[in-house]
Amino acid sequence: MANVSKAVEVGKGHGEHGDHDHAHPSFLAHHFDTPAQQFNAAKLGMWVFIATEILMFGGLFCAYAIWRAVDPSIFDQAHHFLNKKMGAANTVVLLFSSLTAALAVRSAQVGKRKATSVYLIITILCACAFLVIKYFEYSHKIHLGLLPGHCFGHPGFSGAIQNGEEVGTCLRVHADQAAGTPQWVRAIDEDGHVQLLPPRTNMYFGLYFMMTGLHGLHVIIGMSILGWVLVRNMKGQFSKEYFTAVDLGALYWHLVDLVWIYLFPLLYLVGKPE
Amino acid sequence: MATEVAHALAHPDDGAVHAHLSSAQFYWGIFGALVFLTFVTVMVSYFDFGSANIVIAMVVATAKAGLVATFFMHLRHDKLFNTLTFLAAFLFLAIFILLTYDDIGRRGEVDNDYGGTIKAQTGQVAPGGEPATSATADETNEKPPEAP
Amino acid sequence: MAAIDIPIPGAHSADAHGDPDANYLKASRGMGSWLTTLDHKRIGLMYLINVTLAFFAGGIFALLIRLELFSRGRTIMDAETYNRFFTLHGAIMVFLFIIPSVPAALGNFFLPIMIGAKDVAFPKLNLFSYYIYLLGAAVALTSIIMGSVDTGWTFYTPYSVQTQNSVISMTLGAFILGFSSILTGLNFLVTVHTMRAPGCTWSRMPLFVWGMYATALIQVLATPVLAITLLLLCAERFFGIGIFDPKLGGDPVLFQHFFWFYSHPAVYIMIVPGMAITSELIATFSRRAIFGQFAIAMSSISLAVLGFLVWGHHLFAAGMSEYATMAFSALTFLVAIPSGVKVFNWTATMYKGSIVWASPMLYAMAFIFLFTIGGLTGLFLGTLNVDIHLTDTYFVVAHFHYVMMGGTVIAFVGGLLYWWPKMTGKMHDEVKAKIGFVFVFIGFNTVFIPQFIMGSRGMPRRYYDYLPQFEIFHRISTVGSWILGAGLLLTGYTLLEALWRGKRAPRNPWGSAGYEWMTDSPPSLANFHETPVFTRGPYDYHLATPEELATGWDEVEQDGKKG
Repeated sequence: MANVSKAVEVGKGHGEHGDHDHAHPSFLAHHFDTPAQQFNAAKLGMWVFIATEILMFGGLFCAYAIWRAVDPSIFDQAHHFLNKKMGAANTVVLLFSSLTAALAVRSAQVGKRKATSVYLIITILCACAFLVIKYFEYSHKIHLGLLPGHCFGHPGFSGAIQNGEEVGTCLRVHADQAAGTPQWVRAIDEDGHVQLLPPRTNMYFGLYFMMTGLHGLHVIIGMSILGWVLVRNMKGQFSKEYFTAVDLGALYWHLVDLVWIYLFPLLYLVGKPE
Repeated sequence: MATEVAHALAHPDDGAVHAHLSSAQFYWGIFGALVFLTFVTVMVSYFDFGSANIVIAMVVATAKAGLVATFFMHLRHDKLFNTLTFLAAFLFLAIFILLTYDDIGRRGEVDNDYGGTIKAQTGQVAPGGEPATSATADETNEKPPEAP
Repeated sequence: MAAIDIPIPGAHSADAHGDPDANYLKASRGMGSWLTTLDHKRIGLMYLINVTLAFFAGGIFALLIRLELFSRGRTIMDAETYNRFFTLHGAIMVFLFIIPSVPAALGNFFLPIMIGAKDVAFPKLNLFSYYIYLLGAAVALTSIIMGSVDTGWTFYTPYSVQTQNSVISMTLGAFILGFSSILTGLNFLVTVHTMRAPGCTWSRMPLFVWGMYATALIQVLATPVLAITLLLLCAERFFGIGIFDPKLGGDPVLFQHFFWFYSHPAVYIMIVPGMAITSELIATFSRRAIFGQFAIAMSSISLAVLGFLVWGHHLFAAGMSEYATMAFSALTFLVAIPSGVKVFNWTATMYKGSIVWASPMLYAMAFIFLFTIGGLTGLFLGTLNVDIHLTDTYFVVAHFHYVMMGGTVIAFVGGLLYWWPKMTGKMHDEVKAKIGFVFVFIGFNTVFIPQFIMGSRGMPRRYYDYLPQFEIFHRISTVGSWILGAGLLLTGYTLLEALWRGKRAPRNPWGSAGYEWMTDSPPSLANFHETPVFTRGPYDYHLATPEELATGWDEVEQDGKKG
């Protein structure tokens, strides 16, 4: 058998490869032949992952769609308890963070390390802002007792109107009560109006918390990923030739933004305005 | 040598990464469009267009999503298969939603060869279908099987 | 002219000392080198060990279930325990064994080799998905220890919401295992798209790779919906959000839609790899190009796509709207067509081929026979008016065991016997393997044919006790389970024995034209000594050179004599 030269060094580690330097830069993994192959594989992998995330969130959107089609009254009223302004603010914050993420990738593509770091930091700060606004929204709902399922309403329900004044802003729906005669409940909305909520409102808030909760979890994960990319960038691991991690981290962040772009109108904006 | 032949066959160019570069101004422009669309959708929500409410909201949301995916996520200048992957997810999601609705949203609706029945959600009489279950059970002449 | 442009390695295995071409088993030593390996072959072997353990555990539960059903009333356990056992049998077999089995064990090992790549696209992700599998298995084990579940592996609401058993930990285990499946599929998709060697065009790609690709499509698109389903179930249990609870305005059938949107494509995750293996076996042991190669490839993709449209056929008797039942029934008939294409093409391949009666071929032929029975009985179940009588009876149980066990498990064992020499460098004893096959085939049919009969006569599934007229069928079935178990144990022993006492295997013991047989047995760390260039298809026996098809047994004997 003739001596065969090997196309790649086979061995442990991904360090320098001696006289194959020009063909095998240090960022190129040993099982890839060229940086372009590695980059395309990474991108495709990220898009496949994004597809799985779309399908996972999609399950929740399916539940939303089904219940909205079957009983729109749940959704008509309950969105009054969501603050449109805060939701819109969150939307703009996320859109801006998407912009800075795209700019971070652009900076990495031209090799501007500092600019990349700045844009990544702004993106992460925007994510924090989103979570802060979310915190205010959630705590307001918990205070009002607008919680999913069994937790809907505070233990001591008043909600009655005494002497023309509302005694409390608590709501109550018992599971066993709903089994017999559906109970409409009285509650105070964001603008101080007394609302009558249809019997299955706890279902709406169940969907609300699951969808925004899962989204919020992804915001936190996205922040962690971008933070890790930031650390790698500060260590100088990226260059004009190799910025894949920045690109993929930004793609994940854009996905988070995409989900919110659909969540916002479906939860906050669609209902019967009065 | 076979090595070089292999390389040449596989990668006719130099194998370096060539990703499209947009200007920062362009990205800001897209951002502007996105904010504008957000403004539109919030403003529209203060008016009642009946069943068109959700259609308008979804159209605007899809426009925004399209802008983010095409330009921020670089699908415009990327390999076509990435776009197909992205769209395939929505396609299968649509199949899931539509066929599930075909069941849950259309309970009690059956073809016209049989009698009427009641829609579970609203109590309305649905077109076509068997009479309500308890009535059918009363009409049956079958006896339950003998216990062993 | 060399049809594959690499020098064919000799039969002597590479020197392990300091030679980077040392075979992958010897390239590095120690437990640590295995647990931190990035080599797809080692990861495939580790998965193989784990899925075999899972199969063994699930099999023990099966034997105990059948033992309980040997007689009416209580035989060895009470009803509560029986419910837990059939749930565990199903959950372990589905989530821990059959879904990972072929893709994670054999797919991981052979997909990169068959496309001429050095590894999968994301080796670290591959190792990560293995550890996620272990984590999911550990969480499921926790559930079992904490009292396990008795809901059936399908976790139907409302019972799964209300029961006091450890549903949340079992569903979390399945949730985690789902991610392992997704990441494996993601890896395979990207590998096939971006890492095919020069000359490995889509139309030349081996059918095993097409099958893995189609499976990966399903894994990636369907499993996320399982994830959200299980999350919703946990939220329902924990918060009572009401989405599946009619008292709170929900619908329990919605859970079934969510669950089966994943679980029906999941059964195609189970069977398509089995079909992929069968294509390889039939071609090699008929010494012919596979008939209609591209049609078989496209039928795998069709199954992947059409499999997403038919989940409602699991809900025919659950109270769906009539429109939905009609739509799903029609689509179910449609999905039978690609399977028919494959069976026809395999049969046509064997016609006037030079059949070799090696043990893998016996399994391949058994696959065709048993899968056909299973598939045809699926059509009965897809017919609305017949399904009313057959749903939730032993007819369904027999149907899915014919396709999953008579299909996938048979193909998996056949694939193991076929590729064992390549993976381990050792040849197993063909005589024992064939005896094992006879026991498996006879045992399997003895277990499940009576189940078809009693199912059609009304014996419901998941029942602890039954009417006297079914006792004879249950007894025959239980005896069959012992024969089947013995056959599988013998086959497992045969494979293990080969590691210690087997003859050293040559490069190409079966004389196949497939690409994986052009590497060493076992392969070197980088699979090929240099990047291959494929200039013929993997089934082109008329284009392969005698050197490529040479089994190498002569050289093995020569080397043996040299000592």
